[in-house]
Amino acid sequence: MRLYEGLFLIDNAYANTELDTVVKHIHDILQKNGAEILKSENWGEKKLAYKVNGHKRGTYFLIHFNAKSMAVAAIRRDLQLSDSIIRFLIVKDSKIEDVSQIGITEPEAAKDINRIPEPATEELLEEADMAINTSNDVQL
Amino acid sequence: MSKKRFSKTSKCRFCRQGIDEVDYKDTHNLQKLTTNQGKLFSRKRSGNCAYHQHIVKASIKRARFMALLPYVA
Repeated sequence: MRLYEGLFLIDNAYANTELDTVVKHIHDILQKNGAEILKSENWGEKKLAYKVNGHKRGTYFLIHFNAKSMAVAAIRRDLQLSDSIIRFLIVKDSKIEDVSQIGITEPEAAKDINRIPEPATEELLEEADMAINTSNDVQL
Repeated sequence: MSKKRFSKTSKCRFCRQGIDEVDYKDTHNLQKLTTNQGKLFSRKRSGNCAYHQHIVKASIKRARFMALLPYVA
């Protein structure tokens, strides 16, 4: 297993109406190929630097996941068949320690230890940080 | 004269800060290493060492592919 990071550019026509299903679709593809999703982060809608297949704007989604190197080719093939994903980039990520500390930071299940600030889950993050601080104090 | 201007700072900007990795998602800083048109700065112009210029080149190209940076602006 190796740590990968995938950046997905989602068609706004799908992202505005049914972002959850598109994200679930991506997660399903990853999990079907034996990947373990560590973190998924919504960058929101952005203006593209140039037109991609006629699209001027798009929604970016960043997902960190553990996968076997053999599975990545299959993941790429499955993603290419999807209509809602305009473009994606999967690269190896070396900072495995950092991400393993972060844990799962999906908006629904964001009660684990979260280090990276996300606007949507800020309150939860504060709680988590406080919990860490107090536990550290007790240990010290 | 011109020789001295370029050799003023002995190390590249990433070596000075001790940065090993350049992230393709960090478009704000990558943009500083491109011209207004979006072309890569030469090694001489950016002052980067071979190692870091190599990483910068790769990450700018990744950012271009994901439409975070322009190929031509």
